Amino acid sequence: MTAPLYSPGDSLLHRAPASAKLAGLVVLGTAVFLTADLALLLPAALAGVLLLAIVRPPRARLTRQLAGSAILIGLVALIAGLSQGWHQAAVVALRFSAIVLAALAVTLSTRAADMLEAIEALLAPLDRRGLVDSARIALAVSLVLRFVPDILGHYREIREAQAARGLDANPLALIVPLVVRTLKDADDIAAAIEARGFPPDRPGR
Amino acid sequence: MTGGRDTACRRQLGRGLVRRSFKLGQNPLDMTIRDIVLIALFAAIIVAFGLVPVIPVAGLPVPITLQNLAVMLAGAILGPRRGAAATALVMLLVAIGLPVLSGGRGGLGMLLGPSGGFLFGFIAGAFVIGWLAARFARVRGPAWKENGLSILACIAGGIGVCYAMGIPWLALATGLPLEKAALGALVFLPGDLAKAVVAGLVARGVRRVYPIPLK
Repeated sequence: MTAPLYSPGDSLLHRAPASAKLAGLVVLGTAVFLTADLALLLPAALAGVLLLAIVRPPRARLTRQLAGSAILIGLVALIAGLSQGWHQAAVVALRFSAIVLAALAVTLSTRAADMLEAIEALLAPLDRRGLVDSARIALAVSLVLRFVPDILGHYREIREAQAARGLDANPLALIVPLVVRTLKDADDIAAAIEARGFPPDRPGR
Repeated sequence: MTGGRDTACRRQLGRGLVRRSFKLGQNPLDMTIRDIVLIALFAAIIVAFGLVPVIPVAGLPVPITLQNLAVMLAGAILGPRRGAAATALVMLLVAIGLPVLSGGRGGLGMLLGPSGGFLFGFIAGAFVIGWLAARFARVRGPAWKENGLSILACIAGGIGVCYAMGIPWLALATGLPLEKAALGALVFLPGDLAKAVVAGLVARGVRRVYPIPLK
């Protein structure tokens, strides 16, 4: 359900460090906005396709991820074409195709844990100044992944209980109990975490 | 206002965690474990609402995904900083490549694409909703007035702020004139208005039975 998009493999992109891939993405994302030259944007979009071809993800995953973006980019290009001519439409479509394809290639070839580590490294200067706390971010991320199925379970239970009493699906009657139950759960979970001695003491503070 | 059984004890624990002052007057680290858990659970609700089957709303032809409803709820129920943090946490999950957006989408492409401004707008929107909700929470009045203010907060942050960031991003990224980009976003307005109304009513409903301080 929240299984990562990562698809295992041994390509060049899989082996590259996550931080290098992120940096490459930032460079590409900046570069395509600095030019409106189709002779540069077309190769950039093709490079995106090439990167995806290197990663070789399962086709079902690829179509699912690309379908929404393709519709959106097509729509935006259509509006741009109608209002500002087809050259602009091609610029917009190629620009976003390049970014979306390359970003998808990075996403598919990087483990969530590696990406998290790269992002934590980016946040490290803030961490040292006490503006963010990577231990807490890591805790929060793991809590989310742990509790999504629980919340879906609560949702189903509440819906079934109401259906059993002959009630139609009513957003208010469904969401209020779900949220209240979640708020109550938070108290118990927090107590359990504190009882286990989290957060660990950090040296140098 | 606090509903916890051992709030005093917890506050004592929390005080040890407070570190430095920040320009908002409070450190983002001025967060107890309970705050972190609330943030994470609301982020989980935002993710879960992208997965649940769509609830049909009578008289509305637009299919409704509940994800931005959950974003509005995060602001309206948790308050500005925790609400924005819950939303930012979801965006972090998107960035590390988990399919947590509605329809099972995710990855860096979503944040960098033409509609990325709306996603970042969610974070600011949740903050504004929480800020307004904290302001309006002191107002006591008849039910229609309290409901109305709660809905107003959700509209201002969940639609106003979100569109104010999403539309210029779309326009800037595509080179479209601002009016044209705004016209495109108009398609989503009826659905978003309906969600803001539901979020406002849910937030007040929750506050009535299980109030937690907005933070």
